[in-house]
Amino acid sequence: MSQLAIGLLYGGATLAVLFSGIPIAFALGTVATAFMLCFMPAASIGTIAQNVYEEMASITLLTIPLFILKGAAIGKSRAGRDLYAALHAWLYRIPGGLGVAVVVACGLFAAMAGSSAATCSAIGSSGIPEMRRRGYSAGFAAGLVGAGGTLGILLPPSITLILYAVAAEQSLGRVFLAGIGPGVLLTALFAAYAVLRYRREYRDAHSLARRGGARSALIADDRFTMSERLRALPRILPFLLLLLGVMFALYGGIATPSETAGLGAVLALLLIAVVYGAWRLADLQPIFASTIGESGMLMLIIGMSLLYSYVMSYLHISQSAAEWIVSLQLSKWLLFTAIALLVVVLGFFLPPVSIILMTAPIILPPLKAAGFNLVWFGVVMSMIMEMGLIHPPVGLNIFVINKIAPDIGLKDIVLGTLPFVFLMTFAIVLLCIFPEIATYIPDEFFRR
Amino acid sequence: MNAGIELDETRPPDIPASGVLGAIQAQLDRLNLVLATVSALAAAAAGAVLTWEVAGRYFFKIPSDWQDELSIFLLIGATFLSAAWVQARRGHVGIDALQHVLPPGADRVRRVVADVVSLAFCAFFCWRCWALLWEAWEDGQTTDSAWGPPLSIPYGLMAVGMSVLVLQLLLQVLAPLANRE
Repeated sequence: MSQLAIGLLYGGATLAVLFSGIPIAFALGTVATAFMLCFMPAASIGTIAQNVYEEMASITLLTIPLFILKGAAIGKSRAGRDLYAALHAWLYRIPGGLGVAVVVACGLFAAMAGSSAATCSAIGSSGIPEMRRRGYSAGFAAGLVGAGGTLGILLPPSITLILYAVAAEQSLGRVFLAGIGPGVLLTALFAAYAVLRYRREYRDAHSLARRGGARSALIADDRFTMSERLRALPRILPFLLLLLGVMFALYGGIATPSETAGLGAVLALLLIAVVYGAWRLADLQPIFASTIGESGMLMLIIGMSLLYSYVMSYLHISQSAAEWIVSLQLSKWLLFTAIALLVVVLGFFLPPVSIILMTAPIILPPLKAAGFNLVWFGVVMSMIMEMGLIHPPVGLNIFVINKIAPDIGLKDIVLGTLPFVFLMTFAIVLLCIFPEIATYIPDEFFRR
Repeated sequence: MNAGIELDETRPPDIPASGVLGAIQAQLDRLNLVLATVSALAAAAAGAVLTWEVAGRYFFKIPSDWQDELSIFLLIGATFLSAAWVQARRGHVGIDALQHVLPPGADRVRRVVADVVSLAFCAFFCWRCWALLWEAWEDGQTTDSAWGPPLSIPYGLMAVGMSVLVLQLLLQVLAPLANRE
């Protein structure tokens, strides 16, 4: 059978098996095993378990359960609520200050937890009701939290970026640093949108009140005294110190990324024990249950995705596909656009981890040949996959919000997140024009 | 039992609830709870080991040689030992797009086929894990680091975890028969 036929068969079989509803981990394992049986020497099938072990036994990959543990510890505590409440007390003078506080809280929280869903539910579960109580429209409140949550896969310690660094053989420290600039850019864009949208809703509420209609809570003014603002600090400072401390340990040359993951998890557990008194079994149980559930699922997908790409590379499918793409001699940006669209479409069905591991061997060589900086591309690819979290049909964050704010209809949530999809597209365009937004920080840092 | 992690989510309906299979599932639930608790402890221990690695090197100038490897073993163990517990809650995610498209009868068939294929793959993989363990044990294989712990440890964790997962999948495949009675 020709290379092309095997490649097409591999792709077709993967789609068929995935869509049958078999769990992604087992589906990828099944396809890989079936192709090993049919097209590879009999001896190779004997080493399948060893392949999976050897691919998984990477300390970088195994930081993922620890970052999930850290995120769960902070996510299940009241830290998210305290964070945005404190930020609101300090930002209330800005029009739409509460919305801005929610976005900034999402960014900071994401930088501690590294997960979009965790950020969404931690900030949203109290942030959405609070915004609605103050007259924000349902879609606006839901959109802010949904979009804010996506910062989780861009800011370090993003699990998506860890996998990308492994798949693309790039330095994790560099990839993490490259996520910061775009993360801040998105936070700023979201916050600016919050201010503009708030002003529009405020004007509408005002004119309605003047015409003798209902008086929206939006018109009421917030006031915080200095002592109230100072009182809000002690609960969030430890977490900000955790965030900065972990970054310092990583980039100050004190700890490796894997050690940082372990250290972060232990410190997060200690912090919630000290700050919130969460040290009893009843407090720890949900943290560990969600850690084991999420990391068990994710690590098995990762292990089997690695087996899947091992088979793909053994059968020369990935190399031939990459060579074929290169031979098309697409112009640089046409190639980029085609690949970006592929990632968008895959994002409809697959979680970011599988997209990265399955496509990296195919799409990265042509991108490299076309002269793209692979660290930069990792960040852009993450942003594209982030959009997948807030647009239908499977936007994970949409469903998280639907769960934590059941009174807001799916349609309102989708309409509310839509402007943020445009903002993210805009940010990606900016990043293409000014790649320094991503590369400046790592370049400067590693120049020393 | 409250010494472990409690089942905090609702159970999917396709778990055997009565008869012999129900009784086996009840025993398996106990085992899963123990294994999930061990996995949670292993994850926490890996965190502690890596923290010790930083602290030991930074404050006491102790060279780090065994910590990364031990953490790998702990986290591989956590992943595989909890696999059945995750499966019992249908926590291994799949693409369920067809669920909303197919008529109910066809969708039932799809689900059974999906479970049978999952079972077949996991049983095969499980068999290869045991074979790998046997080989590593017979040859006394170790990792190639200076510390050089036996590879039968992680292979054994994989083999045990996969075996329990296979049992859990088997019970889920058979559940429709058990729950019809």
